[in-house]
This record gives sequence, C-alpha cells and structure tokens, in this order.
Amino acid sequence: MVKIGLEIHVQLNTRTKLFCSCKNEASKKPNVNTCPICLGMPGSKPLINEEAIKKAIKIGLMLNLNFSKKMFFSRKSYFYPDLSKNYQITQYELPVGTQGYFLINVKGRIKKIRIRRIHIEEDPAQIIHVGGSITNAEYVLLDYNRSGVPLCEIVTEPDFESSEEVIIFMKKLLSYLQHIKVFDIRKCKWRCDVNVSIPKGNRSEIKNVGSFKGIKSAINYEIIRQESLINKGFEVKRETRHFNASTNTTELLRTKEEEIDYGYIFEPDLTSFELSSYIKDSEDNMPELPEEIIKRLIKEYKLSKNNAEILVQKDPLFVEFFEKCSKMYENKKKLSNWIVGDLFKCLNFQEKSLFESKIKPNDFVDFLNLMDSKKITERLGKELIKEYVEKGIPPRQLMNRKNLNLLSKKEILNVIEKVIKENPKSVKDYQEGKKIVIDFLIGEVMKKTRATADPKITRELLEKKLKNK
Amino acid sequence: MRIKEYLRKVEKGEILPSKEIPRIVEKLDKLNEKYSCFITLNKNPRITSKKGRLRGIPVVIKDCICTKGLRTTSGSKILENYFPVFNATIVKRIEEEGGIIVGKTSMDEFGFGTFCTNCAFNLPKNPHDITRSAGGSSGGAAVALAMSDLPLLSIAESTGGSISCPASFCGVYGLTPTYGLVSRYGLIDYSNSLDKIGVMGKSAWDCALGLSVIAGKDSNDQTSIGEEKDYTRFVNKKYIEKNISGKIIGVPKEYFGKGVDKQVKKIVMNAIKKYESLGAKIKEISLPYTKYALSAYYVIALAESSTNLSKFCGLRYGLATEIKGNADEYFSSVRTKGFGKEAKRRILLGTYIRMKGYRNKYYLKALKVRKLIIEDFKKAFEKCNVLMAPTMPFIAPKFNEIKSLTPAQQYASDILTVAPNLAGLPMINVPVGKINGMPVGLHIIGNHFEEGEILSFAGAIKW
Repeated sequence: MVKIGLEIHVQLNTRTKLFCSCKNEASKKPNVNTCPICLGMPGSKPLINEEAIKKAIKIGLMLNLNFSKKMFFSRKSYFYPDLSKNYQITQYELPVGTQGYFLINVKGRIKKIRIRRIHIEEDPAQIIHVGGSITNAEYVLLDYNRSGVPLCEIVTEPDFESSEEVIIFMKKLLSYLQHIKVFDIRKCKWRCDVNVSIPKGNRSEIKNVGSFKGIKSAINYEIIRQESLINKGFEVKRETRHFNASTNTTELLRTKEEEIDYGYIFEPDLTSFELSSYIKDSEDNMPELPEEIIKRLIKEYKLSKNNAEILVQKDPLFVEFFEKCSKMYENKKKLSNWIVGDLFKCLNFQEKSLFESKIKPNDFVDFLNLMDSKKITERLGKELIKEYVEKGIPPRQLMNRKNLNLLSKKEILNVIEKVIKENPKSVKDYQEGKKIVIDFLIGEVMKKTRATADPKITRELLEKKLKNK
Repeated sequence: MRIKEYLRKVEKGEILPSKEIPRIVEKLDKLNEKYSCFITLNKNPRITSKKGRLRGIPVVIKDCICTKGLRTTSGSKILENYFPVFNATIVKRIEEEGGIIVGKTSMDEFGFGTFCTNCAFNLPKNPHDITRSAGGSSGGAAVALAMSDLPLLSIAESTGGSISCPASFCGVYGLTPTYGLVSRYGLIDYSNSLDKIGVMGKSAWDCALGLSVIAGKDSNDQTSIGEEKDYTRFVNKKYIEKNISGKIIGVPKEYFGKGVDKQVKKIVMNAIKKYESLGAKIKEISLPYTKYALSAYYVIALAESSTNLSKFCGLRYGLATEIKGNADEYFSSVRTKGFGKEAKRRILLGTYIRMKGYRNKYYLKALKVRKLIIEDFKKAFEKCNVLMAPTMPFIAPKFNEIKSLTPAQQYASDILTVAPNLAGLPMINVPVGKINGMPVGLHIIGNHFEEGEILSFAGAIKW
C-alpha cells in the first residue's frame, strides 16, 4: 500500500505581514512592501500580527484540531539567500494545534485524513532567476515583498493511498480555506511538500509542488521510481527530492545524511502566547462551513442537493452571488440552474473566475427576467450569456445593441414561408409522416432570426402551415 | 562638572549648548587619542533646543545601538561601514528630551568579552592606568565617563555583566535595569533573552535621570514592559533617609568565595557595613544554584548569538568582498574575513549547542537551570530588600595578564554578574574604594522592577 503525507503551506490573506506592518500584498514593483523588520536589519525586532494567529486558529477549528494552551515561536537556522536573517521564524515545539482530521469523499466513501499539526511561519523573500532556471540562471534577483508574508503549514499524517485522494483533499481544503476567509485563491499562493513511500521502500519528500497537476505527476512518478528500484533489487533511500515541472519527474536534492540540522532555538524576541482568548475570538467569528451552507441552501431556497453542492464547492463567491440574486428573484430553482449550468460552463470555457468576470447580480437577474417575460428566448439567452461572460456587457445592452427584440407572429410567419420554400424535401418528408423533421425546420427559423423567434410560437405556426399545405 | 549643575546652568542660560557642545566634542576628541573609547565621534551633532529632561546634555552611546545616519558597528569589522536607517527607541527618547548624541563608544565585538580586548577597532584603556583593561563589553562607555570631568551621560548595554564590569573597573556608576524595562528596539542583538540597555553615570542621580528617560514600554519591542517613572525621586535625600532604615540587605555567601580577591572582599564588606549605620540590617543568605550560572549563561547566550550573527553574510549586511563560488562559499568568505576570533568561537560553540543530540543536553538544560536560578533569587527576595556583593572578583587586570588567560578563565571572570543577569534582575555598580589606585565596585542587586530601591541604596552613601 502506498502511503502519502502532505506538508501544505498556504499564505494567509492578512492585511499586513506576520511580523511587521508592511502590506501583505503582491506588487509588480519589487521591494516596495518592505521595512527594517522584514529586511532583517540589525536592531529590528519582530512584532506578532494577531490577525495571523486568529486565522490560523480558524483553520484549526475547520480541521478539528486540539489547540495548544500556549504557543511560541522558534528560529529555524539555515543559510539561504532568500532568508533575510538566515533563520526563519517558525514554530517547533508548541505549534497552534495538533491532532485533527479532515473528511474527504473518495468515490462515495468517506475517508478520514488525520492532521498532525498546523503552525504559523514567515515566508522568505522571492528569488527571481534571470536568464534561466535554478540550475542555469545568469544571475538572480531578490524581491522582499514576499519576505514575512504569513504562512500556515498544515501537516497531515501519511493517510493518502493515491494521488487521486490527495487531489480530492487539496481541492476540498483550498475551497474550505476560502469559505472561512483565511485564504484568497486570487492573491495567496500555496505549495506543498509531498512524502511518498511504498512497501519495502523508504520515505522520499518532494519539495515545493505548486499545482494539482504537479502533485499528480510527482506522486505517480515517485511510485514508479520506487517500484522499479525495488524490482531491480535496489534499496530505496530516504531522501529529499525536487519536482521538475517541465519533465514531470522528481530529482534528487539531498540524501538523509545530507539533511540540514536546523538548530532550533526559541525566538527570544517574541513572548509566548496564551491561545484561549484568540480561540474564543475565532470561534465567535467563524464563518459558516461548507456543509452548513449546503444544508442551509437546501432548506432555505429548496435547492437540489446537487446544485447546492456545486455552488459551494466552486468558489465562495458563487454562494454570495446566488444569495444576492435570490433577494431579487423568486424562482430559486431556475436561478441556481442558470448559475450552476450555463454561467459555470461559460466561465470554465473561458477560464475565468466569477471575480474576474464583470457579472453583477442586478444584471444577471435582469437577464433572467428578460427570458421570463418572453422578451428573449432561452436559446438566445444561452448565446447572450457567453458574450456576457466574455465581454462583461449585460444581456439587455447586448440585446439593444444588436436589435434582438422578439419577433411578432407576422414576422415569424414571413420567415417560415422562406424556410418552407428553401427546404422542399424536408416539407415533403414531414408531410409523409416523418414528424421529427419539424425540429430541423424550427432550427432553420432560429438561425435566420438569430433566435429572436419564440420557439413555442414558431412550432405552432409551422405545424399549422405544414398541415395546410 | 556634574550633570545636575550643567542642567542648572543651561536652564539659567549660563551655558548655551550650541556653544558648549562643540567644545566638549573637541575635548573628547583629544582624550580619545589617549583612551580610545570612541569608535565614532559625532563631530557635527544635531543640537536641538528641546527643553526636555536632558536639555543640552551630551550623551554617548554604546556602538551596538542604532543611530540613524551615524555609523554603528557593534565593534565589528563586518559592520565597519554600517549606517542605520532608523534610530533605536532609546535614541529617539533621548533626543526628544533634548539630549545630544556626541559619540558611539567602543566595545568588544558584538559584546563578546569581559575585558574589552576583543575589539575590531579602538581598544579602550582604563583611565586609572592605561596598561589595564577598562572592562567589557561596554568598555568605551565607562572610559568616556572616567577619563574626564565632563558632564556626560553614557548609555551602555549588558548581557551577562557588560555594564557592571566596566563600571567597576573604571570606578563609575552603572545601572542594568530589569530585563524588559528598557526597549531593545534598535539594539544589535547579542543574546535577545538577556540583553538589557542601561545607563552609566558619575552618580546614582545621573543613572536615575537617564533611566527615567529610556525606561517604559515600547510597542516596537514585544518583550518590553513596565511604566515610565521619575527615578530621580528615589535618590532624593529625604526619600533615602526614610527608605534605608529597617531594610534587609542579603549577602550571598557564594559571592564571597574562592576566586574573589581578599582585598576586594574586605573593601566591599566595609561598604556594606556602612548601610548598617543608616539603619539597614545585614543577613547572610545562600544562592545554591550560583555554581551553575556561568555554564547556563554561556550556553544560552551563545546559542542565541550564533543565530543573531547569521544575517551578517555579505548578502545584505557585511563586508563587500569579491563574489566567488556559490552562495555558501561567498557567505563563508565574508564571515571568515569579517568576524574576529572570539565571534567565530562563539558562533561555533553556539551552533554546536543547538545541534541535534546536543540541544537537549545543553540548550534545553540551560533553560531549566535558568529557571532554578530565578527561583533562587525569588526566595532570597522574600527575605531581603536588596542583595549586595562585589561586582567583579578583582580589580582591572593588566592587558598582558589577560593575554595569558584561556577563554574559559576569561569567561569565569563573569562569575558574580551572570546570575543576576540570567535572572533579569536590576543591578547597579557603586564605586566604593580602591586598591593601588584601581577602583573596586559594590554590586547592589534588586528584585524585578525595583530599580528605585537599588538607586536609593546606591545614592545613600557618597564615597
């Protein structure tokens, strides 16, 4: 049985950095969000950002953790150019919390993934390799905007048995982190270290994998690598490896003998922190967890379980969007169908998030109203929403611009005449009893009218016309 | 001239700081040639007309404390050309009260030393005998006071005795406050859990004045605690008269043991007896964990300092040398060149202590011992108001005597100062006599945040 464990680092979406008042914000300009503290200037001292503690505790609540009564920080020493002090302030002996769990659904079966611990630490500066990669760059640049950004490290027990389980877990975790508002997928980065071992093998740790695709490739490669070593009669050594995204393989970084001794000591510039008041605060301000939201959507809006789940899984913004729209729109079922259906499809197709698109609840509800009042057909609606997602122009404006008002019966009849004239064979087929041909003819009418003909009326008129012929 | 008198004259307009300060700087410059107590003299100090508590007073600052735009080396070649972009909190406070920063005093590299002989530049000489040590690590801070009768205030720093020792050797008052009472923001760290910024002066009143300005909680230092107070009222004559009588002075027997010079013991005991005549009672006590203090101190201090010095690697701080090899090789070449011998020794020892397999045995154990030592003192202060002992076991040694000492023997000289420093207690050196012209110091140790009490005792007797 394959055993896989994760060490996941997520950036927390705090307003300021972990130990100073610099903005926690990516910037195109390098080194603008910096100060003596995050640059590690001699004489500067770290100051804790309580928002980071509260957010880490929220993660702890979400992961059913046992919280430490008291926690403190430690210095993890190693020399690396991205570390402003050549040690990282992290947590070692007493982290935020330990021994929790997170449930995932693997093909209908609920599986419990144990969480070993979570802790808070600072992100190092960013190294920019110029003119190549880590192995062949001409030179490197350092951007300290990232130096001191709060990270929460989530360490699982080796409870995963396949890369699929890991991906299910990661997708759910990231979605939940967004729901509890501690992580923002648009701004915050995540990465994880993946530990893989197989029977008769040995644990290898793959560092810094930053995408679902990467996780999958790294794990699958690692399993095959270890299996083939064993099959050839070689020993699998315990080692740290690096994932190469361009070849989808893992490469040796260092063996166990070369492991760094981090020489942890307590961080003497920060006091220890009693967690009880922070826990109380986080409990009081804990947002609704996805399971609760799903239940509420089903109960309050009578949504189908499927629609409720999809709304919640995707992005917390969708739930917010749905609830805003539902205040203005009665038919909740139709509303959720359109969001979960065409809106999702179009966003996915154009690889856009709801946040990036310019879709607003007002315009979206207006769009549904246009269809309800038969100003536009559903078919035209499906066309308009594509453009709406792509260009951000609300359907009503698109309609006006293109002059897409619904046609009158007389206008439809005119088009029907034309279609009948142009398709004598189909007309003949119909009259000979092949009734299904009518759908083709309706389609032709729609094409000609750019879907501004009501399909129901069109069918009636067509049937009448064909009968009379 | 005493500070008190200087202040009075400034107040009356008899002294104009804008004229007096350049004169003082000029004198200091001349004296510095002989005693070498400054690493950087501020020849163009900012002379403010602020009417604060330090109005127009020239202040000298140990070179491990950041002064904006004024070179700050912490006594190390690796920071030879370091100009901080911000002021330490205490510097800000001093300037806000009208104090004028006139120079940065010499010190053992990063505070690593008892005799101020581990200096990358400007090894200070004892004004009482220039063939002798000024004491360390705040050697320059004490010499600056002892070499003249200029009305200076001197800001120093202690980790394991770096204020008491040079104050004792040079015959000045040196106050180390409770850990946390004075903000460390802007102090280039030696050992963060032990470092304390304090004051040296020519009287208890001078120290009280300085402390009143620099003490108090600072939001930039999470370990800082305590309120702002006017400490000069504790050295007020009337207060002292009422205060001393009936108080109990603890005399720890372990502080008068082997290794402490007989004559030093005698002078210090005589000094303690004088308090009896003021109505205090003397009580012999025991601090049984004293013998472990030295080891615990060095383990903790070196473990912390070895991480503090990591940032000096040539990437952001440190010497500019030729960039050759990979990052590790480059960092090593900068550190090999930039650090002195003692700094290297402490980095190696400190790193060793933190390694797997040794961490439990040394580092974590030392932290436990530290707690026991604090307990020792807590018990003592249940029975006593202050503790008294010699500050240093001997008078300032000659430079050639120091040369023949092994590092372990040098470390052992801190035997009387490390325990109260580990416990974070306030202490003050009071010059109480001389042996062959060399000063001897009485150490008065108080309970946490009892700076007022020890200042009152220190101010009770004029020597």
